[in-house]
Amino acid sequence: MAGTALSTEPPILYSKSEFIETDTGNKVSRRATIAGPQNIILGGKTIISSGAIIRGDLRRTGPGHAVVISLGRYCLVGEGCIMRPPYKTYRGNFNYYPMKIGDHVHIGSNTVVEAATIGSHVEIGKNCVIGKFTFIKDCAKIADNTVIPPNTVIPALSHFAGSPGRFVEDLPESTQDNVEAHTKGYYARFQPG
Amino acid sequence: MAPSVLYHCPCLSTSSVPPPPHLPSSSYSFHPLNTLFFCEECDAVRCNQCVSVEVSSYYCPNCLFEVPSASVRAEKNRCARNCFMCPNCRNTLAAVPADPPESSDGRISGSVNEGPYILYCNHCRWDSVEIGITFEKPTGLAAQLQKFEDSAPDSLEFDRLKEHFDAFLRQSALAASTTAAASAALARDIPGVGKYNPLARSTNNRGYGKDKSVNRDEMTEYRSRSEISQAAGGGELDVELMNGLEEVDEVASLDQRWESSWVSSMQTKDLKPIRIPLHSKRSKRCPACTHILIKPEQKSQSVRYKIKLVASNYLPGIVVVLPHVRQAKEELLKRNLGKSVSAQAEEPSVGMVAGRSYEFQLNLTNPLYDPIEVRLSVQRVHVSTAPAKEGVSPEKAKRPPFAISLPTTKFPISPFAEAWEYEDDEDMFGVEDDELGIGPTSATVKTTKDKDGRARPKTVGVLERKANKTVVGGEIVIGKEAQGSVKFNMLVSYTYRSDDPAPSESGDMDGHNARAPEIKTFSFYTVVDLGPIIPREEVKLDL
Repeated sequence: MAGTALSTEPPILYSKSEFIETDTGNKVSRRATIAGPQNIILGGKTIISSGAIIRGDLRRTGPGHAVVISLGRYCLVGEGCIMRPPYKTYRGNFNYYPMKIGDHVHIGSNTVVEAATIGSHVEIGKNCVIGKFTFIKDCAKIADNTVIPPNTVIPALSHFAGSPGRFVEDLPESTQDNVEAHTKGYYARFQPG
Repeated sequence: MAPSVLYHCPCLSTSSVPPPPHLPSSSYSFHPLNTLFFCEECDAVRCNQCVSVEVSSYYCPNCLFEVPSASVRAEKNRCARNCFMCPNCRNTLAAVPADPPESSDGRISGSVNEGPYILYCNHCRWDSVEIGITFEKPTGLAAQLQKFEDSAPDSLEFDRLKEHFDAFLRQSALAASTTAAASAALARDIPGVGKYNPLARSTNNRGYGKDKSVNRDEMTEYRSRSEISQAAGGGELDVELMNGLEEVDEVASLDQRWESSWVSSMQTKDLKPIRIPLHSKRSKRCPACTHILIKPEQKSQSVRYKIKLVASNYLPGIVVVLPHVRQAKEELLKRNLGKSVSAQAEEPSVGMVAGRSYEFQLNLTNPLYDPIEVRLSVQRVHVSTAPAKEGVSPEKAKRPPFAISLPTTKFPISPFAEAWEYEDDEDMFGVEDDELGIGPTSATVKTTKDKDGRARPKTVGVLERKANKTVVGGEIVIGKEAQGSVKFNMLVSYTYRSDDPAPSESGDMDGHNARAPEIKTFSFYTVVDLGPIIPREEVKLDL
């Protein structure tokens, strides 16, 4: 696939030995720390960069198979990201809650994500902190260096920034198409080099 | 500053020629493509500033509850449920059970505590105990606070104002017993009788009406409930407060105080939680033909649209790249291969130096299902005051002198189709100018091999074509004394063949598809911003 890209869209290179590619097209770095991989679902064509820590071992108590973290398609987990499912003590019981992430979600590097639900087509910047039980709806955009306090709800198509994260503006209507093209283009350009 | 291409929206002005980009006011009319709309009826670009906007639905940004428009007015555009904003940091407040007195653990204690509930901010740790508000149940907080709100001075004043004006309006409504239509009919039939406009009457308390008017008097004077000079805060009280201040934080900031429409106390400890204002979903219409451009779905959190006429589905997208910057980035990437993001070397600031010439590439994407032929042309800037030559004096050179060369002929771009349909198109090149083409290789920048004595790679003209994108190269020569940033207006006109039979040709009822291909042309202006120019003096200093 190398060499057929346009000259204006250079490939994003990675060293071939670093990433494991699965048959559904997921590219997981060997230097990422994945705990409890049997509880993690990757949707396909998802990239997990080096240094990322995904805690699939923090599962809810209970019998049977539990899905702790599920990611959609064309997602990107940046370098050094920490993804931990949120926990709560309710009426004396301590429990972890599953974390669901939609498709086409790009998470920037060194971000700590403890949200409960992230919708599709969400773009999260780098060095962010997403508090526990945050609900991020579709097509939201979170700027770099944002701190989102726990239990926040981020409505669809909003742009949040600052610490504590505040609503800045509404994103244009074509955001969904743009983010989708961006994530698909990123995956296509992400090539061993 | 990355090079960018912005699109011009004429915003209903009569001339479609955009202002020259060196004027600071020109940034008002140029927008990125993803914020623009396209009206099919008028065949014109519309931007957020010229569309007419209507509210389609309201929702609370915290509980995402859709509020019907009738309740919106009743609740004064705020959420009627449990959504409050921390007065300190504007984060949303959570209703938590208050600490049991003997427990020293965190907020959420182990035992089931049905005690009083308080509002708590989990970012700045403010809680409503500080102002003494507690609740019996964790739901219906707004109702529980309702009586506090109703007795607030501003809402009492507002009610009084409303009563006063209500009486007045009722009086004027009785006088306006004739409708506008009847009075218009009368004005037509009998010359000399002016039209009776009920709207003008109620807002003007002098008797402006002609005949048919009962001379309504002035409004009775309004006496407010509390005199302004005795309102809370202000004056002596403030001075005493300032004298006794221990920390600056005790005074509420302007940001925190001007939300309310009434003068409130200046101390932070008196700030009350605010109900969260509602957000709205809007639908947009074209200002000229009132065709709907954007119509969102009813569900408040759905991102889909019933009608979505965005410009990126009609106009070709343009991305501009400076190859020398990109090459520097590529070398950086190769050096950084395998390193983590934080350990990467810093990007050197590569820009354009005055006095040299650079090439730039435009990547055009065709969003239509038909192939298009595009022609680019640079708009000549008429600067009447400054002489348009190089070496112009710096204070007049607001417009840095530079020369642009772009391919002038038309070039085609393939239509948009699924990825699997593109197998044949990968190695297509356009041959432009007099340069001879090279044999088929992969889609990279071609270099001509000295066929006519020139060792330079071909820079001006169509460089590559892949799928529905075409890369076109151009060149820019920067004058020696140039300053500022390189921005030029570019007119893009493209023609496409639309297969739809035009309505006027509906008599053309053949058996097969009535392919009366009409060639349609559309043109729009863009401004291409290649970034700032590094003046030559700076470069010399580095040596």
